Amino acid sequence: MRALRILTEEVANQATVVNEFEQTLLRIFILIIMFGLGAGLTPKDFGLALRRPWGVAIGWVTQFGIMPLTAYVLIVTVLFPFSSTEGIILVALGALIMGSVPAGTTSNLFTYFSKGNLALSVVMTVNSTLWAFIMTPAALFVYSRLLGLDESLSIEFSELAIVIVGLIIPVGLGMLIRKLSSNIGAVLELLGGVFGLLFIPFLIAIWVPRNWQLLVTTEWPTYVVAIGLGLVGIVVAYYFSKLLRLHPMNARTIALETGINNGPLAIAVIVAVYIDNPGVDQILLVPALYSLFIVIISTLVTLVFRRANLAAEQKIPNLL
Amino acid sequence: MTNTPWLAHYPSDVPKQLPPVSFTNLPELLNAATAQYGKKTAFTQVMPNGMNGSLTYAEVDQLSDQFACYLREELGLSAGDRVAVQMPNCLSYPVVAFGIFKAGCVLVNTNPLYTANEMIHQFSDSGATTLVVIDMFADRLPQVLANTSIKNVVTVKISEFFPSVVGGVVRIVQKFWQRSLPKIQVPHTRFSSALAAGKAKHSKEKVISYTSGVRQETLAALQYTGGTTGVSKGAMLSHGNLVTNTLQMIAHCGDGMRAGKEIVLTALPLYHIFAFTVNLLGFYYNGARNILIPSPRPPSNLRRAFDNYKITWLSGVNTLFNALLNERWFQDAPPKHLHASAAGGMALQASVAERWRELAGTPIVEGYGLTETSPVLTFNLLTGLAKDGTIGIPVPSTEVKCVDENGKDVAVGEAGEIIARGPQIMLGYWQKPEETAKSIKDGWFYTGDIAQMDADGYFTIVDRKKDMILVSGFNVYPNEIEEQIAAVAGVLEVGVIGIPDEKTGERVQAYVKATLPAPSKDTIIAHCRTNLAAYKIPQDVIFVDELPKSPIGKILRRTLRDEAMSSKPSSNNGSKGA
Repeated sequence: MRALRILTEEVANQATVVNEFEQTLLRIFILIIMFGLGAGLTPKDFGLALRRPWGVAIGWVTQFGIMPLTAYVLIVTVLFPFSSTEGIILVALGALIMGSVPAGTTSNLFTYFSKGNLALSVVMTVNSTLWAFIMTPAALFVYSRLLGLDESLSIEFSELAIVIVGLIIPVGLGMLIRKLSSNIGAVLELLGGVFGLLFIPFLIAIWVPRNWQLLVTTEWPTYVVAIGLGLVGIVVAYYFSKLLRLHPMNARTIALETGINNGPLAIAVIVAVYIDNPGVDQILLVPALYSLFIVIISTLVTLVFRRANLAAEQKIPNLL
Repeated sequence: MTNTPWLAHYPSDVPKQLPPVSFTNLPELLNAATAQYGKKTAFTQVMPNGMNGSLTYAEVDQLSDQFACYLREELGLSAGDRVAVQMPNCLSYPVVAFGIFKAGCVLVNTNPLYTANEMIHQFSDSGATTLVVIDMFADRLPQVLANTSIKNVVTVKISEFFPSVVGGVVRIVQKFWQRSLPKIQVPHTRFSSALAAGKAKHSKEKVISYTSGVRQETLAALQYTGGTTGVSKGAMLSHGNLVTNTLQMIAHCGDGMRAGKEIVLTALPLYHIFAFTVNLLGFYYNGARNILIPSPRPPSNLRRAFDNYKITWLSGVNTLFNALLNERWFQDAPPKHLHASAAGGMALQASVAERWRELAGTPIVEGYGLTETSPVLTFNLLTGLAKDGTIGIPVPSTEVKCVDENGKDVAVGEAGEIIARGPQIMLGYWQKPEETAKSIKDGWFYTGDIAQMDADGYFTIVDRKKDMILVSGFNVYPNEIEEQIAAVAGVLEVGVIGIPDEKTGERVQAYVKATLPAPSKDTIIAHCRTNLAAYKIPQDVIFVDELPKSPIGKILRRTLRDEAMSSKPSSNNGSKGA
């Protein structure tokens, strides 16, 4: 008990945005979530995606096309013109990273609740995570040049690769474990889902009270970026999919899949790369706020989606 | 002397006559399997998310011994006492069913989805004093028990015999997420406690003694049927009926069912006679591993079973095969290890059979039988000539023929009521001697189905006698029209009935569940016009979200008729089964 008290006191005394204790917990969370994702997959699922590549291809375009661009546009039109804080460039970097990381696993959950195409959602998450090796550094490279970010802030490909490999390994292990024992696999899958959900309350419970001051002093443009990134991503991806005449079920899936990015991953990347940078708190601001608000946004969007006229959809051929 | 042209078509691996049956009763048949396959996995129950538990042959043997001792020593039941069992497919099912047989008691299978009134009827009629029930459905018990002679209630968990952590997770999900565990309001014993009590009083001698007086003609099970004609009656199936029919079915499959090698997917409920004899008894005796699916609806519930196990055998009804064929995951990755599939319970539509063969690349054969015949009477050959659209030829040691209204044999190719004689014909209806006398005459069981036999001895069901539609004096068989409508692109399921008509006496009405995009009514009627005589054309086609179905998925024309008579059926009256 005493050890625990000391630990918590120590945690409380550290005034960083994400302290070491939270980092460790975060890593464990991400590990379990990724394990769970892998445990729900079989090689067949990849074959399935390859056989009907359209949904995955469109999802790829929206994921790495719309999201980083949305982040860039919000930075240029809202964040830069209306902020007075000095380290705003660091906040922008955080927003850009948030926009460039692959899809998060919570999207699968929201897809399920909004009567979307769960198989497509899972395959898209895995697909975008794999592509993140190339696409995340590429997006960061392009947009940080456009923003004129200091070279010293740019992320090395190798640094990013290590973090993502760290994510892919548990996915692979999860698949392997499921092959060896379908029971352990199924439990891991369930745990991954539960932890994916717990991540947010965890964040709120630990992070919000301690960073209350930061939240109060944060300027509104930062909030607009953190909230707008997910919301704009969902709306644009939805109408883009509708424009391509996708089945509404798949349009809903792609919308959520695009708008919901992997917040824990963005935070993990920033912590891994910028931990020694004195401005790490600023960089973490948008990813932390985004992770918080995306749950609220996704819940509201899911409620809207659920009101969709399912009977009318029956008449639309599902060709995807 | 019955005309038996089919005997010429038995392939070399199927005997013309069943060799003399050496088992006096079901426990002897079960013990033979345990002795041969003891350490092999007998049953694996797979939940929709892939969580699973297994029992070996030896474990099933031990546990069912314990349950038999519980029934006899702890509850004080005697041989011949009825024990009602009400649960979906799960690991407890074989333990309980085999335990009842070993105790010399009588198994009364009961559909878990029954309403309180249906339960009251079945329990009172059978005179069951003990009920083994899945805890999920125990909420109706206070009302039911007050109106029946049930004294002892044993409750079973769906996750019984699962590894403890996995079982715990299933339990937590049921309790807090699905909220499917009602508070049980009546005195009851948990299954685990019952087994522990049985174990404490167990001895092999006692178990052997329970069945010392159980012979082939001793009653083994009351299997209720006749829901389609009104009040359900209990078909009395003897140990000899079930043992022989199991052996007949296996013999008829020949090399199509390989001893000790099969992994069979049991998605049909075991409380139904088809899965009970074919999957539970047949594949257990044959040394197979049985993959038990507690709830096959929606069909995606079967996905993890197909993903995680090398399924070699599948038994099902047309509805199940059709549903699988319409699942994308199944189309994209059809089972690689499948050896054979068998369809029963209702007509296997030609379009479904063809698509199945194309996708799965393995034979699918249709058979025929009734609850009253344990159930298998005829089957197409897995290793010989199979004729699509027919129900095949009689299994070994079975006589089948078609007769006219006076009981006279009809000529080859002519339609008549199908009647059968053989060791699988039930003893009679429980406490209904008049009903028995009406359906069994001179040892021949009258099925109430209209069929015709071709020159090779292959039978084709024309239709159920009661479902026949009389249009202006012409006989119209719904099966024929359903077969045509099912072939229209976009039609998922179809049910055809006759409804009273002032001009023609009766007219044909079709109910269709369509896929996307739905075909138009005109398309369907136009298709019928090119393929059917004018009086058979449906006067109306009604699109519905769901068709009423029996527990195994048979489309219930009687319910359609009732709905048509009482009111205009709404389009969203589909019942979502478990």
